[in-house]
Amino acid sequence: MTDAVAPAIPTRAVPVSPGRTPWKHEAIGFAIALLVLALLPLFIGDTYSRHVLIMVFIYAVVASNWDLSLGYGGVFNFGHLALFGIGVYAYSLLTKLVGLDPWLALFAGGVIATVAAVLVTIPILRLKGIYIILVTFGFAQLVMQIVISQSAITGGTQGLVRVPGLYWFDHNMIRDGKFAYFYIALGLLVASTIFLRVFVRSRLGAGVVALRDNEEYAISRGMSLVRQRMITLAASAFFTGMAGAFYAAYQRNASVDVFGMSLATIILSMVLLGGASTIYGAIIASFVLTVFGEAMADFGAWRPMITALLIIVVMLVYPSGLVGMIRAGWGAIAVRMKRTA
Amino acid sequence: MALLELDGVSKAFGSLKAVDGVSFQVQAGEIFGVAGPNGSGKSTLFNVITGIPFGPDKGRIRFDGTDIHGKSGNDIARLGLARTFQRETSFDGLTVFENAVIGAGYGGPARKSVAVREAAAEALEFVGLGPQQFGRLAGELSVFDRKCLMLATAIAMEPRMLLLDEPASSLTKPEIETSIGLIRRIAGRGITIVLIEHVLTFLMSLSQHLLVLNQGTVLAAGDPKTVISDPRVVEAYLGTRRPDA
Repeated sequence: MTDAVAPAIPTRAVPVSPGRTPWKHEAIGFAIALLVLALLPLFIGDTYSRHVLIMVFIYAVVASNWDLSLGYGGVFNFGHLALFGIGVYAYSLLTKLVGLDPWLALFAGGVIATVAAVLVTIPILRLKGIYIILVTFGFAQLVMQIVISQSAITGGTQGLVRVPGLYWFDHNMIRDGKFAYFYIALGLLVASTIFLRVFVRSRLGAGVVALRDNEEYAISRGMSLVRQRMITLAASAFFTGMAGAFYAAYQRNASVDVFGMSLATIILSMVLLGGASTIYGAIIASFVLTVFGEAMADFGAWRPMITALLIIVVMLVYPSGLVGMIRAGWGAIAVRMKRTA
Repeated sequence: MALLELDGVSKAFGSLKAVDGVSFQVQAGEIFGVAGPNGSGKSTLFNVITGIPFGPDKGRIRFDGTDIHGKSGNDIARLGLARTFQRETSFDGLTVFENAVIGAGYGGPARKSVAVREAAAEALEFVGLGPQQFGRLAGELSVFDRKCLMLATAIAMEPRMLLLDEPASSLTKPEIETSIGLIRRIAGRGITIVLIEHVLTFLMSLSQHLLVLNQGTVLAAGDPKTVISDPRVVEAYLGTRRPDA
């Protein structure tokens, strides 16, 4: 620290985001990953594998968006899967009962989930920690009970079947070996990931982290708790709702199972195993857990136990999750390369 | 006209009156010191003025002619009233630069993102955190640097008044000396300063006016030299001499 008054820094000398991975590097990594994923169907011959990858993409969208509110925002939003369920039912009802175009209904699923997220923000504005869990969990239960009780419209516990699927001009999407759904799901994941990464690296994203790190300090710097928390939940809701809508279009049915604890636990495991506050971690964990789960299919009841053990071991060794593991591995390789040079 | 006016401000926690009918004025451009023994209500006073985390129960607070009683903490901050906290505070998950961007972007005047980044960088340089520090995570900084960063985030807001809550606590003597210089330079930017401090020499070297609180009430106020020689102030700080001593 010096007593001399420092001169103002000229505009060109002010870096955009010092200490963060440059955009160019991130874009290159992103493009390579996208290319690999886009080429996968050419090397994977069977339809079932493509189905697994479609489910991976859907889970990855939901988990990475949950990471925004839970990891970056520190908001214990246990109603996140309800937003996915809202997307499922919004799409199903709009296409089946209202007759809306499936593509419009897909978008509407995202919009309706965003509106629901804004509404659920109101009761949790002044709450912290466990109380947010209680209210958001209650919100998920409320949505499920509404769906069950309005069985004349929603099909209740029986759900809805023969939900219209998506279309691509005259292309037959049912008998194409799931190629079209694969690329639509990949497109959804790409759009969601670009949105999330741009958001978390923006000033708004920094505000989300600031509010998580120290609420009173953030308010003292002019930040509105109400506005910021609403933005956080709304931003994490849009693609979650769209993923729900896509899920309904792909599966061609809607079931109350999407509100259950089972799916919520799987997605939460993906967020935590991947490493909170990374976005990419949740996506990587979606691949690992889904593919691992499929590979262990023959193990029956042992499967969830082995998966749980894997999660515990990774979290114990690398508390920052798979991303922490990858960083540590990359660091070790870099050190070894330096020594060799 | 006074920049900050408090009139009969009170705050109680159950039967404990933390701040009891406090009134004073701070003129624009001055450094105004607030002293008092532990538990005298100094930090609570800052809390009720800024509305973070609570406002007063009673009384009137005017900032730059605007009644700020009942306004939210972030609205008060955006009016140009910034504060620091007793403990070094930072957004640990953000870099040093991003910390300053929060101050410039959320608390400062409306401006384009390039101007926000410029203001953030200028504030950091001003407190002595150079570009080589910009990319470090705030949580990795030393206590002194985190205190400087807290000042930078406040300066980046371009406030009219800055409330400093014990800026010298947990600092070494050379760091305290540097802090005194920095506070003078902040005042030199035209920012009015209200300063809480335990270390009386720190307060005496900076303040143009001094107010002493004791058990939530104003014990003495005025010229610093006159105030610290007031027998009531000496008694509050040092206690009374035993008759047999």
